[in-house]
Amino acid sequence: MKNYLKLVNFEFNRIAKLFAVLLGITFVMQMIGVIVKSRQYLNIINENVFEAMMSKAQFLEQVGQLSFIDIARSIWFIAPIAICAAGIGFYIFLIWYRDWIGKNTFAYRLLMLPTSRLNIFYAKITTILMMIIGLVAFQLFLIPIEMSVMKAMVPDEFRHDLTVNDLLASWPELSIIIGSSIGEFFLYYGSGFLVVSILFTSIILERSFGWKGIMAGVSYSVLAIAVWLLPLFLQEFVLHGFFYPIELLILEIIMGLIVLTASIWFSRFLLMKKITI
Amino acid sequence: MKKYWKSIAVVTGIILSIGTFYVNSAISAENYPELTVQTVNGNAQEMESLIIEGAYRTLSSMNYLGTDLKITAQGSSYNSPSLLDRVTGYYPTVIKELKEANRSFMRGKNLAANQYFEDNQFLAYANIDQKISSFGSNKFNFEIAVLNKADDEVNSFTLKVPAEEGLDHVFLEDVQMLEDKIYLITRNMLIKNDDYNDEKHVYEIDRVSKKLTNHEALVEITPFKANLHTHIQLVEGSPTAATEQIIMVKTEDTVMEDTESTRVTDSKKEIVAYNLATKEIETINVPNLNFEENQLSFVKDSTIYFTRVEGQELVITPYRLGASQVEKDFKIQLHSTTENDHPESLMISVKEDRLYAVSRQIDSNSNGEVAVVDIQTGKLLFQGQITLGNSSEKHEDFEIYMHEIYVKQ
Repeated sequence: MKNYLKLVNFEFNRIAKLFAVLLGITFVMQMIGVIVKSRQYLNIINENVFEAMMSKAQFLEQVGQLSFIDIARSIWFIAPIAICAAGIGFYIFLIWYRDWIGKNTFAYRLLMLPTSRLNIFYAKITTILMMIIGLVAFQLFLIPIEMSVMKAMVPDEFRHDLTVNDLLASWPELSIIIGSSIGEFFLYYGSGFLVVSILFTSIILERSFGWKGIMAGVSYSVLAIAVWLLPLFLQEFVLHGFFYPIELLILEIIMGLIVLTASIWFSRFLLMKKITI
Repeated sequence: MKKYWKSIAVVTGIILSIGTFYVNSAISAENYPELTVQTVNGNAQEMESLIIEGAYRTLSSMNYLGTDLKITAQGSSYNSPSLLDRVTGYYPTVIKELKEANRSFMRGKNLAANQYFEDNQFLAYANIDQKISSFGSNKFNFEIAVLNKADDEVNSFTLKVPAEEGLDHVFLEDVQMLEDKIYLITRNMLIKNDDYNDEKHVYEIDRVSKKLTNHEALVEITPFKANLHTHIQLVEGSPTAATEQIIMVKTEDTVMEDTESTRVTDSKKEIVAYNLATKEIETINVPNLNFEENQLSFVKDSTIYFTRVEGQELVITPYRLGASQVEKDFKIQLHSTTENDHPESLMISVKEDRLYAVSRQIDSNSNGEVAVVDIQTGKLLFQGQITLGNSSEKHEDFEIYMHEIYVKQ
């Protein structure tokens, strides 16, 4: 346990700078977005209400109030989320390959540590999970601040205030990132954890067998995903809706746990016996 | 400790931020009004077997679909948006009870109440499976399953819907069974000469030989005309109940179209009955009853119930098919102070010898009505008001639309 925590801390410190950069990009871009969008809207108010002498009521009817959705749907808000997602997607691979590529073979030292090699696997996957959830948590913390910036800039009668929950309800795509209940949160990130562990196993396969390993890795990923989603395929194509939804959910959770265990067990085997430096 | 500060900070941040968010959203979860049924007069026991189903929505909400709710003598319950409720679903009581009683039969079936038929002997289900081919000719299949309650045997089969020139869509509206015949009442859309034709169709299927024995169009709608809007509506009792008579209301609205709005200048209603046993179609004329004023609200066995609001009274007029005279009216004194006293503002349901009447709409300012009448004697057994349970609590403006009265056995 202690070794595992030490390794997690070690892995996290290696990525802390990149993580800080991602947080910074998100903060700066979204803040600029809030300010730019609010000012744009204020300019429209100025042009119509004060210069073209349109009445407030008429303006609100034609243009409408500014709500945070308008800001959240802009490129300023979405782009940093996309950058963070891409960054983490990239780092899922880099977290392994940076140990192999470099001046001295760092992987050698890592694998020679007097601890279970599986701890390396656990530490790396924990780091990825910490980054993902850390970014989500930061986004959740940031949205209320951005909302209050908007509140400070736009007068009351031109503003439609939302809560974070309203924002999620009116923009379902966002609730994939932030599940609307704690149960969904665990389901989504549990699935994410499973996918990352499958990817890690494929990476270790590649590290063990080279070019042949890439083929093996791709095949393993396809197989693992297929086994995981087997109940869904059966439901759709063979059994034609035989399972009740709650049964399907439980089956999917069980299949997910089976595939996760298989992935970890397989990675352990590869790390112990087959890995090459 | 010092070298761990980054990790500790991130983990603490995660727990604080995400924890706060979910705790907050649990606390600020929508605060639904608690509704209770207050007895005005009569025996509150009569209310015990009643489940009123409806949909709730707030006027400011972006959720136009609303939240399902059920009102019983015990109060109101809402379909919470929790994950588990969304996965298991919040079904109408009819479906819920069918599912609980026939868990294996109900597997893989659509859960719309009008696709089922139930009596003491059988539970029948039908579905229309549509295969749209790229050549424009659509293929339809009937999927039928019948559960014999006596020996728990399920008899399922698939039949081709007979091809018809220009058949574009088939919607299943009701399933009936009479002796060994299954009847499917559908709405068929046909394209003829680039015009949409709309008709009510009946398919007769033999349960034993699994063959289609007969099918015919019941009522057809003439192609769309600019100032004449026609539609046919199937009127049912409870969606799974057995009936020998299929009752349809054909409405012809003559409309005036202005640039801004359309308004109905003249409305003609016709009631058509189709007898499943004799296969006879007849137009029903009820003497001394104006269909524009009296709304056809419910059908039970061979009795049709019309309702209208007269001043502060709801008048229910039963009419037995084949009789030349309407039966004695039931009158229910209304207490609520709704401004809209249209005849459609109450819905009714009949089960055994009880007639139930419930307001169609409740909002933050008006109460709802509930009444139970004995149809043998015409005596008012119970009358109540659906009111906000805790009026001191502050609520957003809301509306509730009732759509189903379910009476437990």
